[in-house]
Amino acid sequence: MIKVDNLTVSFGPVRAVESVSLDVQAGDIYAIVGESGCGKSTLAYALLGIVPPPGRVTAGEVRWKGKSLSHMSKSELKHMRGAEVAMVFQAAMNAFSPVITIGAHLDHALEAHPDVFPRRRDGQEYFRHLLELVRLDPERTWRAYESQLSGGMKQRVAIALALALKPSVVVLDEPTTALDVLNQRLVIDILADLHSSLGVTVIFVTHDLALVAELAGKVAVMYAGRLVEAGTVDEVFDERGRRHPYVSALTAAIPSVVGAASAVRPVPGEVPNLAQLPPGCRFSPRCAFAEDICWVEEPDLVPDRSGHLVACHVANRLVGVVSEK
Amino acid sequence: MNLLEVDAVTHRYRARPARPVLEQVSLVVRPRELVSLVGESGCGKTTLGRLVAGLERPSSGHVRFNGRDIWSLRGRSAKKWRLSVQLVHQDPYASLNPGLSIGSTLGAGLVHNKLAQRRNLHEHLLGLLRQVGLEATPEFLRRFPHQLSGGQRQRVAIARAISVRPSLLVADEVTSMLDVSMRVAILDLLRSFSEDRGVASLFISHDLGVVRYFSRGGRILVMFYGTLVEQGPTEEVVARPKHPYTYLLLEAVPVPNPTLARERAATRPPAALEGGPASTGCAYSNRCPFAEARCRQDKPPSVEVSPGHQVACHFPERVPPPSTAHGNCQSPGPLPTGPAVARVGFEPSRATEPQ
Repeated sequence: MIKVDNLTVSFGPVRAVESVSLDVQAGDIYAIVGESGCGKSTLAYALLGIVPPPGRVTAGEVRWKGKSLSHMSKSELKHMRGAEVAMVFQAAMNAFSPVITIGAHLDHALEAHPDVFPRRRDGQEYFRHLLELVRLDPERTWRAYESQLSGGMKQRVAIALALALKPSVVVLDEPTTALDVLNQRLVIDILADLHSSLGVTVIFVTHDLALVAELAGKVAVMYAGRLVEAGTVDEVFDERGRRHPYVSALTAAIPSVVGAASAVRPVPGEVPNLAQLPPGCRFSPRCAFAEDICWVEEPDLVPDRSGHLVACHVANRLVGVVSEK
Repeated sequence: MNLLEVDAVTHRYRARPARPVLEQVSLVVRPRELVSLVGESGCGKTTLGRLVAGLERPSSGHVRFNGRDIWSLRGRSAKKWRLSVQLVHQDPYASLNPGLSIGSTLGAGLVHNKLAQRRNLHEHLLGLLRQVGLEATPEFLRRFPHQLSGGQRQRVAIARAISVRPSLLVADEVTSMLDVSMRVAILDLLRSFSEDRGVASLFISHDLGVVRYFSRGGRILVMFYGTLVEQGPTEEVVARPKHPYTYLLLEAVPVPNPTLARERAATRPPAALEGGPASTGCAYSNRCPFAEARCRQDKPPSVEVSPGHQVACHFPERVPPPSTAHGNCQSPGPLPTGPAVARVGFEPSRATEPQ
């Protein structure tokens, strides 16, 4: 469905995304996870070819159903964005126009893409169905202005609007941030429902590994612009399997309602400035397991037999995926 | 003596006089105690924080600090109380003045309240930075908020609050705007003030995971639309919730474990998350899966179910044990099998834990 091949996105001399390859298949729920400033939102923008200037793709490419974004014409791109893939931006719930109703927002979308629903009535009917799927009252929501909806309701309307043109893929940037836990739970359940009932492919970006564990099927973990681990959720969360120390540290930092509260510990240090990256592995200054080689040589992403990718000298050596250098 | 007493406080906003934001809320915070207030968005927890900090005057009832009603204080005692209770806000992007350097932000309160003299102000400021885990350099004091990360800003906001040596911190959703990876460090920092200097905290959050971590050894208060529905020792409330709303909040918290997440999804009762409070009887009866006719007529009184654990529910025995309770103090599962090398994870503490 979507293939990202060796993609690098640069903002001047700074590479926000560096040599990232991903393979998203139809029907996946795919999570891109990492801390603030690790390049995950930039990667999501690159999937739609909407990297904000001065950023630009300096190497590699994104292919949609085999076709490179850089070879698409303007009209092809326009059709793709909206009708093929929709994006729910971070804080999308604050992006509604305060002076028109939710129904009018839909009409704008239908007008911009008349080819999807030749009869507007069909589009409106479909949107009513979507509002029900996101567990809102269709009639009341249709007539509502954004000021009449709560934050959680707006987030769900944003999701319904993104799906209004029947895209096959929806990309969500931090879909649960700024929501309380009850609304987070609702959004998790709704996205899982939409995935199974509409068959839509879901890609989401988050800093919260708990959300990943609850919702995703596959995960790509980013650190300082690079992919450090990718695999299925079960592989990535397997405490006894091969893991990147960053993922272990991120998981251990989540104060949750399971496990001993005293076992929770913060991730030491901060994400490095992308303009002043440390030599060797980018995580080494924060890593409890760094060895001599980690300070010198940047590790490659190495797959194991099932295709689970990890970029860590120590993890790779421990499972014998690569021989000692 | 209790440090803080909120006594039968009811509060209404002028725009909606019929529906009180807080109704007959009573609570106490003892010196150096860690108390968390948990509830969903819009339930009145921020309003309660504002009343405690004296930013608003309750419509009825009393807020007492060290035994004296804060609204009866005058002159020097009023000024002393003002410094004793400090509020840390949710959004470190909004709570710091973008036009003031970190040094000016932190120095203003010290100088105004004569807690530091001008000639040793600089040392005081560096000491403050050290206490909140920031780089204690003159260069850092010259920086502006836009040059700092979210976690650093929140540390500056906390440093500003503790600079006037309060005895109670009101921390309103201080971690919700931060990356998950930064949250624990901020929570540890707030906890350290209780241990090292006896500062009590009233910690406000919607996330029982965060609350459980922060107020371990302390207490949790659960609020539903202006009323406290359950309160008790942290570990007790999390392991054995007795109010259906507490149970719902616990079950909603996402867990960083895909196997457990699937198990919980299979057993989680479908819950109505929408709908405001009922106007008669128990406020929660609109949403409650266990509600009966009695719940819609009589408001349940708060009763003690175990020492210090109070709940306002007619049928506390109906609340099932949370799906997470069994995992709370156990090892993560059976011993691993497979090749020896594959077992080596990155958590030495867990790997060496006796099974």
